[in-house]
Amino acid sequence: MAEEIKQDYWSYVKRQFSSNKRALYSMYVIIFMAMIALFADFIANEKPIYCEYKGNTYFPIFRDYGVSLGLAKWPKDLLNINWIDAKFDKCLRAPIPYSTTNQDFFNSGFVSPFGKQNVASTRWRHWFGTDDIGRDITAGLIHGTRIAFIVGIISMSIASFIGILLGAIAGFFGDNKIQISRASVIMSIIFFFLGWFYAFMTRSYTLSDAIGESIIKFLGELLLSLLIFIGALFAGYLLGFVLKVIPFFKTKVNIPVDIIVQRMIEILVSIPRLFLIIAVIAISKPGIVLIMVIIGLTSWTEIARFIRAELLKVRSLEYIEASEALGYSRWRILFKHAIPNAIAPVLITVAFGIAAAILIESSLSFLGIGVPAEVVTWGKILAKAQGSKSQMWVAIFPGIAIFLTVTLFNLIGEGLTDALDPRQKK
Amino acid sequence: MLKYIVKRIAIFIPTLFVISLVTFYLSVNVPGDPVEQMLNSNSEMGSSANAQASEKAYIDKREQLGLNLPIFYFSLTNRAVPQNLHEIPKKFHRQNLERLIDKYGNWTEIQTYYNSLKEFEFKVAKVQKDSTNADALINIKEKLQKLYINYDDNAIKSSFASITTNLNVSASLSEVKTYFQTVEGNYEKGVKGKATVYKKYIPAVHWYGTQNQYHQWITKFMVGDFGISYQDQRPVKKVIWEAVRWTVMLSIVSIILTYLIAIPLGIKAAAKKDSTSDKVMSTTLFMLYSLPVFWVATLLIMFLGGGDFLSWFPAYGVGEISDSDSFLTVFWTRFYHLILPMVCFTYGGLAFLYRQMRGAMINTLSQDYIRTARAKGLDEKNVLWKHAFKNSLLPIITLFANVFPLVISGAIIIENKFSIPGMGKTAIEAISARNYPMIYTIVMFSAILTMVGYLVADILYAVVDPRISYNKK
Repeated sequence: MAEEIKQDYWSYVKRQFSSNKRALYSMYVIIFMAMIALFADFIANEKPIYCEYKGNTYFPIFRDYGVSLGLAKWPKDLLNINWIDAKFDKCLRAPIPYSTTNQDFFNSGFVSPFGKQNVASTRWRHWFGTDDIGRDITAGLIHGTRIAFIVGIISMSIASFIGILLGAIAGFFGDNKIQISRASVIMSIIFFFLGWFYAFMTRSYTLSDAIGESIIKFLGELLLSLLIFIGALFAGYLLGFVLKVIPFFKTKVNIPVDIIVQRMIEILVSIPRLFLIIAVIAISKPGIVLIMVIIGLTSWTEIARFIRAELLKVRSLEYIEASEALGYSRWRILFKHAIPNAIAPVLITVAFGIAAAILIESSLSFLGIGVPAEVVTWGKILAKAQGSKSQMWVAIFPGIAIFLTVTLFNLIGEGLTDALDPRQKK
Repeated sequence: MLKYIVKRIAIFIPTLFVISLVTFYLSVNVPGDPVEQMLNSNSEMGSSANAQASEKAYIDKREQLGLNLPIFYFSLTNRAVPQNLHEIPKKFHRQNLERLIDKYGNWTEIQTYYNSLKEFEFKVAKVQKDSTNADALINIKEKLQKLYINYDDNAIKSSFASITTNLNVSASLSEVKTYFQTVEGNYEKGVKGKATVYKKYIPAVHWYGTQNQYHQWITKFMVGDFGISYQDQRPVKKVIWEAVRWTVMLSIVSIILTYLIAIPLGIKAAAKKDSTSDKVMSTTLFMLYSLPVFWVATLLIMFLGGGDFLSWFPAYGVGEISDSDSFLTVFWTRFYHLILPMVCFTYGGLAFLYRQMRGAMINTLSQDYIRTARAKGLDEKNVLWKHAFKNSLLPIITLFANVFPLVISGAIIIENKFSIPGMGKTAIEAISARNYPMIYTIVMFSAILTMVGYLVADILYAVVDPRISYNKK
């Protein structure tokens, strides 16, 4: 019996993508790098994976996770220990026995990876050299992978969410398909401001103080604010029903969503992106989370354009008409039927977008803007190279890391473009 | 066509308005106090020991910068916040008063407390320093400054306690004691005793009219007065004009170079699609496209610009010239200094444009009319350049608009790396120095230029392709 070939859309895309060897192998390398990012703590860490110390057995890296989550505490013996110099009875160290913050004072001032190093054995060698204050470049590169991937993925998730939502609404409803009664319009506006007032303005100090304390507390407070805001909008919606008793308020008006979204896109693309990001970062405290959010908030335009164009086509297709005839609500049609059929091209933009986000993050790190001092990123290592031969490796290795990641994501984007293009059908 | 252009320009205005609001909002929220910053840069003022004189200097400077006005036409706040809070001169004091209002909601009492605090400060400043009270005075002054920026009850109380003990050190301080007791009384009985927190939950709108910072700025901006740069007190117009020359020169030359190289290469590659030369070209340029510009800049400086390898090119700046130099010398000095930055400016756009040109050309070459042209015996050169090229121009023209923002972001990194005194470097310096007038102007200009770029692209679009018409519908 011949093996059945699946004929549904995604299986087809998968087959097309796999036939493009360049893109496929890029995918494999990216998965490999993602693994490095995920297990960075076990690949480069000053703490041993397993150790026996003064008769006790410990798994310091795991315990470290426990401590940072507040579930465990360091035993007295290990509290102020120097992990690198400590003599353990038995220990299994990470392949790179350095963390990003370790300063090797015997090898500070840009020690070359090719020459002699002042280390105990090859086990402790700095394979990619050290920077000015003796930090291991290899450890920096491995943990930098994590930052780069997190920035790329989170920022593009934010961008996709906003882009898909706004683009889909603009494309599907156009300028004259959303009609709301005057009552709802008036009430929405009033209660939008009221909600904003009670959720964010009166609580602004509570929120800003919470950022300083801990991220979990901030998220809790933010959630409360959002609940108040949504509650106010809902109250406005309900009051709209009451107001509809008066005939004047019952008249429906068009909401030109397409025009609104298009203008928003135009405004965003009119301000040079890097400049906008730098300007926003300048007024806030430095932090990786902030960088991810800002990149996300400024890069949804391309996704929105894509999906808008796609939905302009989709909305006049027969199956949409069919579901309208079946009496489904328009929002259900949009989210359950229209968007899933238009989402494929977004993948292309996301792949290119991740590459761009990683580039932006490393540019910012390179310029020394927005990334906190203690976080080591590829761009920051690269910025240490100040143009002399003795620091060549400081420029070359992180540069290769950035270049490789960006190229691979671009190649995947390319592969997806070909795979999703019906003209390329083989 | 004209109608279309007018319509497009009309759409610019609301877009620009929103952009101006966004920039304004960002600038207002920049941390730090610009007035203090300017006074500190002016050493003559900073050294003034007299508290009242320096306060006056502060107020004058603030007025001169127009920062004494309310921020916007109206403000949306709560009942507890007074309409004239912006009249409190010092930014840090104002911020602290806002916190106190948020906590206790009784502005009249808070104001009394604040005024008594100030009066106490002036009285303390007048006390004659002698051997018995020198340390105590220093301590009191230090704690006083803390009171201005403290809203936490415990912190205020500990400052109070410390001042009280210090006041008892010397008899010479007894005359200011009463003033301090007023301060304490105002805080305990007034601010804390008569708290009206409920006011915080009543929304209020204050209307200020056109006497506000935004209005002043935008009306001046429209007639070409961009204000004074906080960094060096020169007019922004002058600073920007000096900087923009470099960036415009670099970007125009690099855009021309990009088009000149990318178009023939793209066409050649498309004509010989899938040949070895096409594959090599495409792979190389694809890799160029992914090369981070700051990496290339670093490597170029490292290997070619005066490092320990080849020092063929200068790595920094634009070169020294004197007035007596001949045009040729000037040109050569500048050119020589700008070669490396130019390479960085060009290669990214080059790769981008090449890919687009190749794609468009391949698309065109698969059309029927190209087959017809070949069938009627036209030679390949004619087919490529006369028939295919014209029809592939379309995407290249639209990209003109995209290249522009690319160049601006490129300028930020490249100019900083190579120390070229252009817009990118000025912009970063302005942001880190919290120099709002510069930031506004740069953002507004780059927005206007980008929008003009899009408009020009749309018009060219119609010129090249007669099928596109903006008149219908």
